[in-house]
Order: sequence, then C-alpha cells, then structure tokens
Amino acid sequence: MNSETNPEQRPETPPQLRYLHPVAMLIGAIKTIRRWVGAAAIPGIAALAGTGWRLELAILGVIVLVVGSGVWGVLSWRATTYSVSGGAFYLRRGVLQKSERTIPLEHVQSVDTVQGIVQRFFGVVELRVETAGGGTNQPDAALSALDRGAAETLRREIEGSRRVSAEDEEESGPEVIRKLSTRDLLVAGATSGQIGVALSLVAVASQVFDNFLPNNITERIFELLAPRSLTFVLLLALVLALFAWLLSIGGTVLAYSGFTLSRDGDFLYIRRGLLEKREATLPLARIQAVRIVEGILRQPFGLAMLRVESAGYGRGTEDVSVSTTLFPLLPRREAERLLLVAAPEFVTEAPLESLPARALRRYVVRALIPTLLIALVVGLNVWFAAGSVPLALLALLLLPPAALHGFFRYRAAGWALDEDRLVVRNRFISRVTSVVPRRRIQSRSVVESPFQRRAGLATFRVRVASGSGGTAFRVVHLEAFQADALLDRLGPGRPESRARAAGSDAALES
Amino acid sequence: MKDEPAERLDPRAKTLWRLTGILRAVPILVGGGLGSWGLLREVGPSIYIGLLPALGTLVLAALIVFFVPSLRWRRWRYEIRAEEVDLQRGIVWVSRTLVPLARIQHVDTRRGPLERRLGLSTVIFYTAAGPNEIPELATPVAESVRDRIAELARTRDEL
Repeated sequence: MNSETNPEQRPETPPQLRYLHPVAMLIGAIKTIRRWVGAAAIPGIAALAGTGWRLELAILGVIVLVVGSGVWGVLSWRATTYSVSGGAFYLRRGVLQKSERTIPLEHVQSVDTVQGIVQRFFGVVELRVETAGGGTNQPDAALSALDRGAAETLRREIEGSRRVSAEDEEESGPEVIRKLSTRDLLVAGATSGQIGVALSLVAVASQVFDNFLPNNITERIFELLAPRSLTFVLLLALVLALFAWLLSIGGTVLAYSGFTLSRDGDFLYIRRGLLEKREATLPLARIQAVRIVEGILRQPFGLAMLRVESAGYGRGTEDVSVSTTLFPLLPRREAERLLLVAAPEFVTEAPLESLPARALRRYVVRALIPTLLIALVVGLNVWFAAGSVPLALLALLLLPPAALHGFFRYRAAGWALDEDRLVVRNRFISRVTSVVPRRRIQSRSVVESPFQRRAGLATFRVRVASGSGGTAFRVVHLEAFQADALLDRLGPGRPESRARAAGSDAALES
Repeated sequence: MKDEPAERLDPRAKTLWRLTGILRAVPILVGGGLGSWGLLREVGPSIYIGLLPALGTLVLAALIVFFVPSLRWRRWRYEIRAEEVDLQRGIVWVSRTLVPLARIQHVDTRRGPLERRLGLSTVIFYTAAGPNEIPELATPVAESVRDRIAELARTRDEL
C-alpha cells in the first residue's frame, strides 16, 4: 500500500526550487545603489570637499559603488529561491546571512503584483505575499521580478489551496465589474479635492527653491514684483492654484489610470496605475465596512468614491492607509448597484434617520468653541500689534463659517439600522456614508457627556477591525433611547429573534 | 441592557489611583509653585495674583488625589454576560461598552509594580479592533475573570 501511495505524493513533495527572473539582479543592484547613495551622499560630499574636490576620487567612488552593487545583485539573485510545497510557501534568501521564511498557505492573506518602472521595461512583475498577522510595513515576502507566467503559476498555487470550489470559477475567470473610463479618470482628478495637498507641495518646492537660489536673485525678483504687488500676488496665487490643480489631476491619473474592479468567487481584484501597475487581491471575507465618500467638489455633481475598510490589508503598499479604494469615481446612485455585484453584504437602501433638532445647537456650539479661541488669539495679537480695535474685531469673521460648518455637519449626519447592517452618515469635509454589518462589529459603546445627558442625547460608537488595528464609526448626538436601542439590537444573538424584536420595537421607527 | 453591570473593581483600586495621582500631582505642584515664585519675584504684582498659579495647581492636585479616584471607582463597573463583556466607566463622559465574547481573540492579565504591592491585576482582552481592559481587580478575581472570558470566548467561537 505504501509503495502505491508514495508515488502519487512524490511529484508534489520534492520542493522544486525556483529562481527569480534575472532582471532581479538589476533591481537588486539599483536598490543597493539607492541605499548607499542615501547613506553616503552627505559624508561623501563632505569628504570630497575636505580633499579639495578631487574628481578622480568621486569617479572612483561611483565605479566602486556600481560594480559592487552589480556583484551584490548577482549574488543575491543566486541566493534567492522560492518554492511551494506541502501547503506552505518557502522563500530563501541572503548572501551572507541566509534566511528562510515559511508561510503556511492558509495564512496568506493576499497575493499582489506590482509593476515598477524597471519591471515594466522588462515586462516582469513584483509579487508580494501578505499574511494577516504582523504589524510591520514590509510585505511578508516580496519577489522583486517574475515573468508573467511564473507569477500567475505561483499565484494559482498559493490561492488554489484556499479556494474550495476553484474549478468552476477558474473556467470563467475574474468577471470585470467596472472599469474607470478616461473621462471619469480626469473628472476624478479634477474633483479630487487634493488641491490643498498639491498646494502645500508647491509651497514646499518654492521654499526649497528659495533656499537654493543665491540671495541676490531672490531679491531682484522681489524688486521686480514689488511695484505691481497686489494684482501680481493675486495672479501668482491663481497660477499656483492652477498648477496645484493640474498636479492633483496628474497624481490621480498616475494612481488610478486603467482602474478595473473585477470579482472571482470570493475575491475582488483591483488593477490600476499608469507607470506603476498595481494589482491587488481583496478577499471579500476581509472587508469590514464600506464607505461611500462624496467629496465636497463631487457631491454637487452626484458623484462619489467607494472605499473599503479591510482587516490586515494595505500594509506594505504605497497607499499605507488601511482603507482601500474600491472604486475611485462613480455616480452616487450607482454605488448600490456596484456593491450588489462586488460586495452584496454592504448593500443598503434604507432611509436614514436624521438627528433631533436639539442636536443642531450642539453641533454649532461644538464648531464654534475652538474657532472662538482661535479668533480670540488672532484678535488679541492684532490688537497688540496694530492697536486698532476694529481691525481686531475682524477676527470675528471666522465665526460664521465655523457655525455654518457645524450646521452642515448636523444636516449630513444620520443613521439607519437595516436588518443586520448599521448605516452611519456624517461629514467633516466630505459626506461619508458607512455601512457596517453586525457581524463585523468588534465592540459598541454609548457615550454621554453631562450636557448630552441633560438634553437626552448620546453618542453611539462601533469599532471594527481595520488594518492591524481598528477604526471607529460614530453617530454623535442622537436620541439617548435610540442609542440604547442600537446598543441592544446590534448585539450577538439569533437574527430571527432580532427581527421580531425590531418589529415590536416601535421606538426606533418613529 | 438597561441595568448597570453588576461587578465593581476592587476597593484597593482607589488607593492605587491615589498613589499614582500623587505621582502625577508632584510635577504639577512644582510647576505651580515655580510660577508663583517667578511672578512674585520678577514681575512683583500683588500677592493675590502671584499666588494664583500655586492655588490653582493645589486645587487641581487635590482633585486628582482625593476626588477623581473615588468618582472613578464608583462609576467603573463590569460584568461578564453570557454573550458579551459589559463595561461602564468615565467621570465626565460616561461610556458603556459591549464587547461580544465571540470577537475576543485572547486575554491577558498584567501587573505593574504598584499593582503587585497592592495585590491587584488588570485584565486586558483583545479584539481585532484593539484592546479593552478591566483594571485593578484583586489578583485571584482577575485570574478567574481572565479564565472565564477565555473559556466563554472559546465556546462562543465554536458556535
């Protein structure tokens, strides 16, 4: 019997060691060079300056660095092998210090492929294997260069073990749910609201520019500008803003170009990127919550972005935030239709309950208090500096926008309990509607401040897993009895009894 | 769910919090004293204004040492129910938190040097969204609470 079973297992068991694509040597060399340049640039330049700028020395240094890195690249390519056998993924690497990593296949959380510029040039991909545990920013195993075929084989080997009904699905392949059109891509960039971020980048750049330019040039530019000061400054600000806007469009195009969301069984696949092609796998079972984000520039046009909060996901990738973009831009009313195909657990069309009218005052007051402090400080400073009270009172102009912000936050806030899903809507700048299924809730709380208690209001909060930590969703200032009811109804228990309880509990409906 | 959780923390928690309160009050008092001293010496205002920082910090220190610990103890309650852990705490913001046992991944007890002196332990239980704790239980109680949570979490997991 043994002699019969063994030959069957044999072809599986000998770990077939595989090497990376030879381009890995080049990538390794570039990485080494980059690291050394980073570490040695400043001491190197200092040393060069100390020896009186001997060019030969600099050239020698560069040659040593390039040759050394090349050799190191070859050696580390030779030392790196991987294999899949006996239900685990093995990665061996290290030239001097050998390391061997074993990742049981059932712990693998996602297999992503990324294509940097070098990889694209040679038509290879980087493959990243991530597990659920750990808290580091590095992927658990990264294979810097594989050709497409090898990457696909490896992905199949790793994921194959996790898919029970793999056969049916693999015939059909991933089904594309939605693609981002070029027009939508540009609209997404134009309305991304990252102008602020881009603007600060521009500001930093101009600052750096300022420091590096010789002083007299800056002075001369200033002299040139001085006579036409106000118009010119305004014009300059406009140009800078326009530049920042274009920059933010460019950033969006780089990140989201060719965004494709597809689904294959219990896995979502997200492909995106212009220069750096990224391919991410998102197991449906990992999604903890979905957010429908209506940016302030998008809401008037009825547009939104879909994001997901997912556990143990998003580490190691460039966008370090643990919430991942599920789809960058789509009409708000089509969000539910997309979710129905992509993640039906999160579909809800329940009408939202708004907050009681007496919560409005609290929202406004809460927005006013910090602004009042700022206005006070600014006003006092102006008063001391300029000595004019009317000018100082101008600081009070900060208050109406703050009050308005509070009002808009109040108006956007709402919640609903749709069977087993909690829906929370709120706004800071963007209006965000979040859907959290009951079985994803890790803990729930009711918090009351003395002021809230006097008004019969409370804050309801649930926490869900997100990344390696957690994130919270809050309904601030809802009726205290409704908060208690939510606390009660979102608890564990049989769904049937809950549904019955929901029917008899009229308190929540009114 | 309307009734408060049944169990309280160990009464020795108040002693512990007073001690840590004293440790925290010392730098505050020193700061206030220095402030008063500086005001009286350098600026030389009336003695009443000069004493304000010292008095203010004295009041604050008294609050931290005498009032906060007992208020905090009176509010803190917990209960291990069949399905969830129920926590209530907070002096100004009173919060009531429910953590389903099925979500609990593991449980620890922890004892700091002062806690050890007083025979107290803190129970910490972790969910995928982060840790929660029940502080300052008598060590044997903490151990039984820990074991009970672990046991219940395990059986709830199987369901």
